[in-house]
Amino acid sequence: MTNITLHIPLNELCLSAHISQEAIIEVVEYGIVTPVEGDTLSDWIFDIESAHWIKKAIKLSQELQIDWVATAMVIELMRKKQQLEKENTQLKARLSRLL
Amino acid sequence: MEFKDYYKILGVEETAELKDIKKAYRKLALKFHPDMNPDEGAEEKFKQVAEAYEVLKDDDKRAEYDEMKRYGSSSEQGFKAPPGWQPSGGGGAGNSGSSADFSDFFNSVFGGGRGQSRHAGQQHADFYKGQDLEMEVPIFLEESVSGITKNIEFMVPVFDGRQTQQTKKSLKVKIPAGVADGERIRLKGQGAPGQGAASSDKKLNGDLFLHVRLVPHPLFDVQGINLLLTVTLTPWEAALGIKLEVPTLHGKINLNIPPESRSGKKLRIKGKGLKNKTAQGDLLAIIKIDIPPVTSDESKKLWEQLAKVEKFNPREDWSN
Repeated sequence: MTNITLHIPLNELCLSAHISQEAIIEVVEYGIVTPVEGDTLSDWIFDIESAHWIKKAIKLSQELQIDWVATAMVIELMRKKQQLEKENTQLKARLSRLL
Repeated sequence: MEFKDYYKILGVEETAELKDIKKAYRKLALKFHPDMNPDEGAEEKFKQVAEAYEVLKDDDKRAEYDEMKRYGSSSEQGFKAPPGWQPSGGGGAGNSGSSADFSDFFNSVFGGGRGQSRHAGQQHADFYKGQDLEMEVPIFLEESVSGITKNIEFMVPVFDGRQTQQTKKSLKVKIPAGVADGERIRLKGQGAPGQGAASSDKKLNGDLFLHVRLVPHPLFDVQGINLLLTVTLTPWEAALGIKLEVPTLHGKINLNIPPESRSGKKLRIKGKGLKNKTAQGDLLAIIKIDIPPVTSDESKKLWEQLAKVEKFNPREDWSN
């Protein structure tokens, strides 16, 4: 049986996604994600969803060569789009049952 | 091996300055980035653009590439590097991505293996971190309530030093109860294998991320931790009220439909929804009224009788 993990500490995230601690600090400072635990940097722990957005934000910032303000905005819009698409699918399914 | 004309890919002259290369890259990256452009082929195009930029933005790599372009030769069998050519080993992860995303041409010129990325901040590291993998896992609603052990199969890219082979891998995974649609689960060290001095060390393997997708249920819709059930009634059941047996994920229960229940009315059944770490959801029964086909003179007369007696006007607001 393979063990699953629902959280990831900062140091493991850096190693796992080969990203720097500084980049993760930027992502947190710009409000893109918030650690689920940890008052100090070395204690930061993220949920896997946040880890996904951290990787996405850093990748977008590098690949599109955009600053952190723009990255935060893009991520916010992507999340909203994802949420709206999900709601849209759910509403369509409900509508088809009611009609 | 196919030769890649990086200047052509970025649409710049061979004499282009760095600022023009950067400008061309930004424009094409915005156009083809897979997060911006869902079109088929956009991702492949973006990879080519990122690879071209990875080389042309770096003076050393660009000089090496120019030399290769000048002295190499193309034939029907493909491109051949100049005699005695040795990869510089300057490949690996750059700012625009990992060498895992780059072509065989790039890897043969600059080194770096597919399926791995050189560890961050270690330009001369003797090991490579394996690639993280992500896959969707469909889960039935019932399974998300109780939790389930699932066998999953996936392909892992394994680099043998020359090329990448896809190897099938299977795992037994316990999906915990209360998992939600869209949730991600990490399986540490189950991604692509790492490479290098300590390749047997599992810490160097990439991770596998499972992206949970709830399979649409034939009866229930999901709204957060609440479940929605459409209860179809006849007009007289809705008008007079009725006691019904309704399905839940935990078995059938009796539900009292009160008289004068209108279409769209929601009846909350506490504690019969989904459960997460902090709360228990409810089941919401939503009333839908359906009319029977008029198959006899008798029922037609009864409808006509009702129409005479009843003064209800559902389009009252139209008259204002």
